[in-house]
Amino acid sequence: MKKSDKTKRMIAFYFSAGLYLILLPVLLSYSLGYKIDFKKIKVYKTGIIYISSNPAGAEIYINGKRYNDLTPAQIEEMKPGAYKIEVKREGFYSWEKDVVVRPNMVTRADRIILFPVIQQTKMLVKRDVSDFVVSDKRYVYYMTKTGLLKSNMDGTGLKRLSFYSNWPSGIIGKRFSRDAGKFLYFNEKTLWAVYLNLDKDITEGGESAQVEEIVTTDEPIVDVFWYSGASYIIVVTEKYINVVELKGGGKRNIASLYKFNARPKRLYYDSDNDSIYFTDIGRDADSMEGTYLYRLDLRQTFFDKFMKLLLKREAEAGNEKD
Amino acid sequence: MKRIEKYRRLFEIIPGFLTWTTLITLFVLAFIKPLWVAVFVIAFDLYWVVRISYLTLLLLFAYRRLEKEKSINWIERCVALAEMDGLSFKNIYHAVLFPVYKEGPEILTPSIEALEASNYLKDKFIVVISVEARALEEAWTNALKLKEKFKDRFFQFIVTRHPDNIPGEVKVKGANATWGAKVLKDFLDSKNIDYEHVIMSCFDADTCAEKEYFGCLAYHYITNPNRTHSSYQPIPVYNNNIWHARSIARILELGSSFMQMIETMRLEKFVTFSSHSMSFKTLVDAGYWPVDMISDDSAIYWKCFLYFDGDYSVIPMYVMVSMDVATEKGIIQTVIKQYKQKRRWAWGVENFPYVMLAFMNKDCRIPLAKKIRRAFHILESHYTWAVWAIIITFVAPLPLIFGGGLFRQTAIGYNLPSVAAALFRISLFTILVCVFISVRLLPPRPKDVKPQKSIIMVVQWLLSPLVAALLGSTPAIDAQTRLMLGKYMHFYVTEKFRKSSHPAE
Repeated sequence: MKKSDKTKRMIAFYFSAGLYLILLPVLLSYSLGYKIDFKKIKVYKTGIIYISSNPAGAEIYINGKRYNDLTPAQIEEMKPGAYKIEVKREGFYSWEKDVVVRPNMVTRADRIILFPVIQQTKMLVKRDVSDFVVSDKRYVYYMTKTGLLKSNMDGTGLKRLSFYSNWPSGIIGKRFSRDAGKFLYFNEKTLWAVYLNLDKDITEGGESAQVEEIVTTDEPIVDVFWYSGASYIIVVTEKYINVVELKGGGKRNIASLYKFNARPKRLYYDSDNDSIYFTDIGRDADSMEGTYLYRLDLRQTFFDKFMKLLLKREAEAGNEKD
Repeated sequence: MKRIEKYRRLFEIIPGFLTWTTLITLFVLAFIKPLWVAVFVIAFDLYWVVRISYLTLLLLFAYRRLEKEKSINWIERCVALAEMDGLSFKNIYHAVLFPVYKEGPEILTPSIEALEASNYLKDKFIVVISVEARALEEAWTNALKLKEKFKDRFFQFIVTRHPDNIPGEVKVKGANATWGAKVLKDFLDSKNIDYEHVIMSCFDADTCAEKEYFGCLAYHYITNPNRTHSSYQPIPVYNNNIWHARSIARILELGSSFMQMIETMRLEKFVTFSSHSMSFKTLVDAGYWPVDMISDDSAIYWKCFLYFDGDYSVIPMYVMVSMDVATEKGIIQTVIKQYKQKRRWAWGVENFPYVMLAFMNKDCRIPLAKKIRRAFHILESHYTWAVWAIIITFVAPLPLIFGGGLFRQTAIGYNLPSVAAALFRISLFTILVCVFISVRLLPPRPKDVKPQKSIIMVVQWLLSPLVAALLGSTPAIDAQTRLMLGKYMHFYVTEKFRKSSHPAE
């Protein structure tokens, strides 16, 4: 190796070694959240505030003082303590919060959503809508005085499914079947079903949807659920849990599966297991009266009860013949 | 077990033990003390950036020397030299030894033709082809055909057959080379040629020496007063089939060439690698190549270093010898082939117990400081080789993965990804230097290669982080683990393929 190469190499080596020894404490102290005050030869513990907002580009104020950067921003070398953070952007509601900066730690004020002051709204369809329902398949169904309409979620692709317009007042709830081919709606006393995606060539009036009244009850309806397969409906009234056959064609079979002691306060239907959870007044093992949570497993008991009902009816019909 | 055997096992275990201890400790600490690992990762990443920046600078120095010395007509310089210690280019012989196993004439012929094309007196060449007897008969027949073809073009063309199963030998290249050198000795004795007047170049079968190689070698040999206490190392490049090789193989082989160029700037660590030259007298005095070690290229250096009590060095020569890129038709096969080749190179870690045992010998007269320095160099180079890529690629993200939410809320947990990414970006400038030098070292594009391939030669470097992660450390870990467990490697011959026999890409 030439002498000049050796000299150059030595310079490069000592320069690299020196650079490493200088950069290492600087880089580590920065990474660990320390601040070196070279004038006072002192090391301080600091913290970091990370602020991000949606939309980005909002102004940041710390204790009322404007910070240079816009969101998203990483504010370093913050002395530990409490700070009031404000995030502002013209045309949006400002966001503010008191945060605490801890030594060597990161305080995150991220996922801030700035809501616009004037909300942008869009009239989806220019129709007088009595009610509407949205399916999981991302369609909007409009119950209007001119019929049942359907559109995409943004209002495009509007089309009429049916001329039916006799929508009741006081609709309490609506429920789509799993396949989104039907939905139920009900008021206090009556339950209706809407059949969607029908073949226009077969239906009366060439409609692709039809509305059918399913049942009217003596007691107010609390909630309704689709029984698996969507051929039966669980109708919960203030007094009974009924199961109602969807298909008409003569007499509609209805069975009362449970009689409440009091109006259920809460209901939950586990559609995966066809079980209904509800509260009712009852007595525990020590005969203490109270409101308890019950579970009715329809998978096991439904068919048994239904079979009994059918047998009973057949027996009654036989007696009448006799 | 004898005491010396116990020490041998200890020194065989140390490199692998250090590597595994480091990696396991870092993995375990990432779970229980992620903060410590994060601090270590940042310190290591910075160290690595500074280190590769420094090495890149050395690469540029070496490249500048290579460019500068490219235009030198060495034979003219030799002619101009006055006789030194009775040596002049007129009374120096170049013995070129090719230990051969299965390599056919398509590999050997260009290597011998390169000797013929060299800018040196052809009647000063003694070519020796030593064929392994365990190879197929075809290998021997091919060698005889080559002798027939080239015998009149050199001073002497010797073909010999290395018998199998000589006591004390294992199936390694060094054993074959030693056999060839002994046959050469007999020839020199018969001609009364002084061993000091013979420069021995031990070349791989695919080694094509540059035109000025032997002139440069003779010049350095004659002018070096410590000539018999030196080996002479050219810059190995892998240009023979580079245009036809896979990108992944090209990057790795270019990386090896660059490392050798860098080593020429670090003489205190410089050890012979692959094809190189030395005085035949030194070879005979030191007792030829070890016949039971795989890493014959570096082992012969250490043998001479020990023989001359540490008064032995490697003289860098800024001339190139070109070899084949270890490549295959498919990517997976190429990766496997490269892996095996790099593992064989990493098996050079076997030099550590060899050197340490010699250093412990009572008769060893090497100064203690030198012993410590050289032992540290061997250990440090193999240790770094085995851990760097794993730390940078796999250990660095561990604190964030296993540190949990609390760690991510700390300043270092938050800063670690951005600091590591910034350091990585800084290190990318070294790739630009590699691209520049690799393009400058490229041989002319063969006619059968499309012009677009020139663009690939540049773009291929984008693969380097992936190649580093895949093959940067794993072959070294494999080699050290085998040595640690006493599962000794056998010599794996990297099969040579040229475009004519094996097209790739």
